[in-house]
Amino acid sequence: MRIGLVCPYRWDVPGGVQYHVRDLAETLRGMDHHVEVLTPAEREEFLPEHVTFSGRAVPVPYNGSMAGVQFGLVSAARARRWLREGHFDVVHVHEPASVSLSLLVCMIARGPIVATFHAATTRSKVLAALGPWARPWLERINGRIAVSDFARRVQVEHLGGDAVVIPNGVHVPAFATGPSLPGHRRGAQAPTIGFLGRYDEPRKGLPVLLDAMRSVVADHPTVQLLVAGRGDPDELEALVGEDLRPHVTLLGELTEADKTAFLRSVDVYCAPNLMGESFGVVLVEAMAAGAPVVASDLDAFTRVLEDGAAGLLVRRGDPADLATGLSALLADPDRRAGLSAVGARVAAGYDWSVVARRILAVYETVALPGGGAVTASTDENGALLGPTPSAQRDDATSGPFRRRVRR
Amino acid sequence: MTTGSWLLLTAGVLLMFSLGWTAWTLTRLRRLAGRVRRAWVVLDAALLRRAELAVAIAATCAAELGRPAADDLAAAAAGARSPAAGDREAAENALGRELRRVPNAMLPSGAEDADVRVGLARRFYNDAVRDTRALRRRRLSRLLRLHARRPWPRYFDIDDGQDAVVGAHAGDGRPAG
Repeated sequence: MRIGLVCPYRWDVPGGVQYHVRDLAETLRGMDHHVEVLTPAEREEFLPEHVTFSGRAVPVPYNGSMAGVQFGLVSAARARRWLREGHFDVVHVHEPASVSLSLLVCMIARGPIVATFHAATTRSKVLAALGPWARPWLERINGRIAVSDFARRVQVEHLGGDAVVIPNGVHVPAFATGPSLPGHRRGAQAPTIGFLGRYDEPRKGLPVLLDAMRSVVADHPTVQLLVAGRGDPDELEALVGEDLRPHVTLLGELTEADKTAFLRSVDVYCAPNLMGESFGVVLVEAMAAGAPVVASDLDAFTRVLEDGAAGLLVRRGDPADLATGLSALLADPDRRAGLSAVGARVAAGYDWSVVARRILAVYETVALPGGGAVTASTDENGALLGPTPSAQRDDATSGPFRRRVRR
Repeated sequence: MTTGSWLLLTAGVLLMFSLGWTAWTLTRLRRLAGRVRRAWVVLDAALLRRAELAVAIAATCAAELGRPAADDLAAAAAGARSPAAGDREAAENALGRELRRVPNAMLPSGAEDADVRVGLARRFYNDAVRDTRALRRRRLSRLLRLHARRPWPRYFDIDDGQDAVVGAHAGDGRPAG
């Protein structure tokens, strides 16, 4: 199958959508499909093979990082050329309900289109405002995918369409086997609890975990809490306080390889988040790495942990409940082994090979056999693709407006 | 300018706008009709494939299933395969019920996949119907009777064990949304 993926955010900036597109493309290529990616980026030269540059994106701050918004005649012309040269059986756009390259491709492409909605809470306001306007183009999408129930709910509420839920994938084998962090080994004398995430964000729940640690330390005097992630070390220092200092180790921001090693090293992985998790990839990663999970009872976590069968659920924001759960789990190696075994089975269902096969089933459902490939609309503005793409910041409305009149 | 010419100009602009809107909406409706048609072709094919599988199961596993069960399955499959029988949804539901009664061990390798395909196709078809209905229900579309003569697209509602498609895991039946 020939598949065209459209990533609306800059390829060179780390982000969930970008990783999703990258991993999906790799997995599908591994299954002998031809996959091309269209994406904005800062510099065309740095893009890997089979990734096509759609232009520089106008940076817009979003969710702590810079997301690229791209909407103009040059991008439209590049997208058109990409579609025409690609001869795709299906085009898969990501996050199309914003003023983005993905929406642009929805406007231009003729043929089977699949869209994935990766919603985040902050986004739904934009979606509510933009939804009705983008509708004429979003209704060209033949199959909609949401990465979580939460994303599906946002999509149903604001765009009035249904979506199939296919979760984010995880490279399970990369987490399952490999080295541990130097100096920390699972099952060593001093038990370790792991926390991963931006530790200075209260909604990630580290203060609750630290409160709980004070009781856990009473039961298990040798316990160590390993904190990994971004944040301000001084703030953490103040939060930890004198009494807990010997029991808390700050690892700081970890590389991808170190992160897998970290998850393989901890005896218990703890996700005390208070709110705002759409899916909880990190829980799947921890389970893939064989770590028993203790998590707060957010909807998303409850679902990933299969109502507590694959991990221990505790009341969110309740240090006493969390402390009881952690202490009991640290005292019971058999229970940890049991959770770890169930977790590994659950995580296997989120492996990219499984997820990609489900996405492929969606492709095959929308692409009629013999139904023809995706083409671009007939408008020709290849002249804009001259040697200097200077018209980058074109009037944003000119593209859709022209289309509206022409047809 | 006089009041008269102002009125004339306003009327002209309004007329141009409504003409443009009508043309644009007709294009959208035509495109949506195509989408509904294609989605139906896929759904029809998926349902037929499931019915064929059921026939195969009834033929090959007749001994294990026992006579009445195998006959019921074959009858349900036949009902689902002949659209002349009237209520297609009821026929497909009956087939789905019979198929769910077959023990997992007896299902051939493609059975689960066929079920998933039916779930996906039905969902995408209903999605296309929903989009069409939303546009046709718009006040101006109704007022101008755009596509009023076309048949009103129907949802296809069957119980397809869709949790396998909707939820992350089969058997997770919480209502979403």
